[in-house]
Amino acid sequence: MEQKDLREWEARCIQEEPPACRAGCPLGLDAKGFVLAVRDDNLPGARAILEKSMPLAGLVARMCEAPCEQYCLRQSLGGSVAIGLLERMCINAVPAKTKFLRLPPRPKKVAVIGAGPSSLTVAFDLAKKGHPVTLFHLPGGPGSWLCKVPELVLSEGVLEEELQRLAGLGVNFCQVSVLGEALWTQDEFAAFYIGQDDEYVEGDLLKLGVPDSITFSLETERLFTGGLSVENHKYRFITDVSQGREAAVSIDRFLQGASLTAARVDLRHGKTNLYTSLDGLQREEVVVPADGLGYTKQEAIKEAARCINCECLECVKRCVYLKEFGAYPKTYARRVYNNSAIVKGNHQANKFINSCSLCGQCETVCPNDFSVATLCLDARRTMVQEDRMPGSAHWFALEEMRSARTEGALIRHAPGKDFSTSLFYPGCQLAGIRPQQTLRLYGYLQELDPATGLWLDCCGAPGHWAGRVQEFDEIMKELEEKWHEMGEPLVLTGCSTCLQMFREHLPQINVESVWVLLAEKPPESAKACAPMALSDPCTSRHDSKTQNAVRAMMEKIGQSLTPLPMSGELTECCGFGGLMQNSNPDLAKKVTAARVTQTSSDILTYCAMCRDQLARTGKPVAHVLDILFQDVAHPASEASPSISERRKNRRQLKSQVLSKYHGEQPKATEDWEAIALTMSPEVAEILEERRILEDDIRKVLFHVQQQGKVFVHGESGRKIASARLGQVTFWLQYTETDGSFMVESCWSHRMIIAGGSA
Amino acid sequence: MNLSFLPPDMNWTCEPCGEKLQPGIVELQYVGSVFKVELPVCPKCGKALISEDLAIGRMLEVELLLEDK
Ligand code: SF4
Ligand code: SF4
Ligand code: SF4
Ligand SMILES: [Zn+2]
Repeated sequence: MEQKDLREWEARCIQEEPPACRAGCPLGLDAKGFVLAVRDDNLPGARAILEKSMPLAGLVARMCEAPCEQYCLRQSLGGSVAIGLLERMCINAVPAKTKFLRLPPRPKKVAVIGAGPSSLTVAFDLAKKGHPVTLFHLPGGPGSWLCKVPELVLSEGVLEEELQRLAGLGVNFCQVSVLGEALWTQDEFAAFYIGQDDEYVEGDLLKLGVPDSITFSLETERLFTGGLSVENHKYRFITDVSQGREAAVSIDRFLQGASLTAARVDLRHGKTNLYTSLDGLQREEVVVPADGLGYTKQEAIKEAARCINCECLECVKRCVYLKEFGAYPKTYARRVYNNSAIVKGNHQANKFINSCSLCGQCETVCPNDFSVATLCLDARRTMVQEDRMPGSAHWFALEEMRSARTEGALIRHAPGKDFSTSLFYPGCQLAGIRPQQTLRLYGYLQELDPATGLWLDCCGAPGHWAGRVQEFDEIMKELEEKWHEMGEPLVLTGCSTCLQMFREHLPQINVESVWVLLAEKPPESAKACAPMALSDPCTSRHDSKTQNAVRAMMEKIGQSLTPLPMSGELTECCGFGGLMQNSNPDLAKKVTAARVTQTSSDILTYCAMCRDQLARTGKPVAHVLDILFQDVAHPASEASPSISERRKNRRQLKSQVLSKYHGEQPKATEDWEAIALTMSPEVAEILEERRILEDDIRKVLFHVQQQGKVFVHGESGRKIASARLGQVTFWLQYTETDGSFMVESCWSHRMIIAGGSA
Repeated sequence: MNLSFLPPDMNWTCEPCGEKLQPGIVELQYVGSVFKVELPVCPKCGKALISEDLAIGRMLEVELLLEDK
């Protein structure tokens, strides 16, 4: 990933955009953070947030007219959060910090003329930055119109206290009898701020002209102005404060000789790209203060709890995987980028990159189509290309794929035919998980069209998901050649993943889901069961045709379906997709568990892998074939076949097809296949968890028989044997009686034993 | 990983060497890293025993660590 790609990814995720309230605050105050701190009864924390963005917080928090509230997303559901009242309550409840951080003194002096809210702001902001400030005010004392605000709203003590804070920052107060031009023509000052929210000599302000609307600089160099609101302006106070702040930014830049406009953050006036869903939110009315004036702490906490905590997280809310890693796609993009940029040290995002199920739900729900799947798949490809993909991450699935593509593969026209109008392509998962049903379905397809051929193979999806571009491309080429040799017939897939692979990578092949065909002519034997929730496989997400066909087929049969919230385009992965189950089995378990809890009904699916995966939770899960062909139906509560059984099933299916349809004697089995094994269910479970096949055990034992090398225990006589098979060394502890092997345990490692000596 | 991984039960004999396994130094390698560990080894043919505990514990940990290096 290049830096520019990272920027593009980051820009797509708008989770870090400000909530409407913050975007609507002329000071950019983190209003959400503030409200949530009040909600959590953390008033000192809340006050700290106010102090961070407000000049003279004691004053601003009490006087601000809260323009932010007009943008609050709670507005339509009971009224905007009363941010203004909350600020007042907080500022009254928590005493001010007495010490302020002031930057080291700077040389150039600034004159602040007038003492209205805008001038006080400029004095505060510039004094904090270390500029020597002199504030010129009329004999009535600093404050201008603030001095006339009723005591109930702003007590005299408050203004006094804030002025003392200014003095504490080194602001020099200078009383003058009139405010006028003479003050901004003095030589000793490097810059002047003219706060128009005060009383001036008639006509003097008119001579200033109109300031720049962003920088508040005037035509005459060194002069800046603000405080321009008319008296009855709805947001007079905060607008003037905001103008003062903008002018202060300009004056600071001016004094440092920097550009007034470069990289300046514009006021947002409530505009933000943050997306926040209001789905499922209940109406809640604004809390009205009992005394009609201000909140008590309890009232404030109650009011603050109405905040909906505006944020996007549309993708994270739904995806167990995105939640698991504790952040959101913008951060994840950074992690993925850093992961590829790092030269020395741990690649900490490897696990993240390899755990995504590539199901595409995030892209569908994101307001900006952020596809974590693409982010992760690209990263996987780079890792493979740069030879730093962890060897163990996808190993088992790739071995499965290679096995299905050799010992499980077969392509034939129907018996007695030298052409095929269509080829049934069940996919390696259906063949491995439901071999008898696959055969039964093939028989039915032949009834419909006797020229239906059969194609047993793997579509290469594991290679694609693992980021192995080269291996996958070669598979695609081979599949295309085979299809070509068969006369380029229609391909009917029994698996959504195969269908997706064909459609996306071999668009020249005419391909359709077998369920679309069956929806037209469901078999007579089809019989409805109790209502079930239909779970669409994630690889069918954008295939509404197949999704609808399955529903139409169920309707014809009279099978009623209960609703499943995340369905169709929004459907979820079963935990197998993207090889999540390989690289992060614990997470896959969580994903699967989350999926099955979305319904209290039994689940129905038309993907063998989904059936297998979802049923591991103990939830009854049926495959549509259980409904279509009663004679070969499996109970919905049946356990999933083991990895060893799946391999055996594929081999057996192939030999059954050869003998049943083509009268061919299946090839002799491998020598090791005859070795007889026994093991307890507990040991079988260990094998499953460690992804060790019975085939592997037989191969180790065969190896021992050939080489005669084994460790024998002194007392019990039990044996330990091992063999390196491909990238893995398998170890086996067993006892042997009359040529039969009782497996006690089995383990493996990828490390290579280079040599040893005692 | 200069460590010793001798199982509590060392009562194993290498067949057909007929030798009892003894503590020995074994070189292991994985994704470009090489290290020496102490394991039960046949003094005659040099074959080492990787116990189940070692394989599914420390060894797996190190494998994963090295894969992410
Ligand atoms: S849906 Fe996810 S990726 Fe998209 S903007 Fe929201 S948080 Fe970011
Ligand atoms: S609901 Fe909360 S976060 Fe959203 S705009 Fe209103 S105050 Fe801000
Ligand atoms: S698992 Fe699916 S929804 Fe979650 S990040 Fe990956 S592709 Fe997106
Ligand atoms: Zn030996």
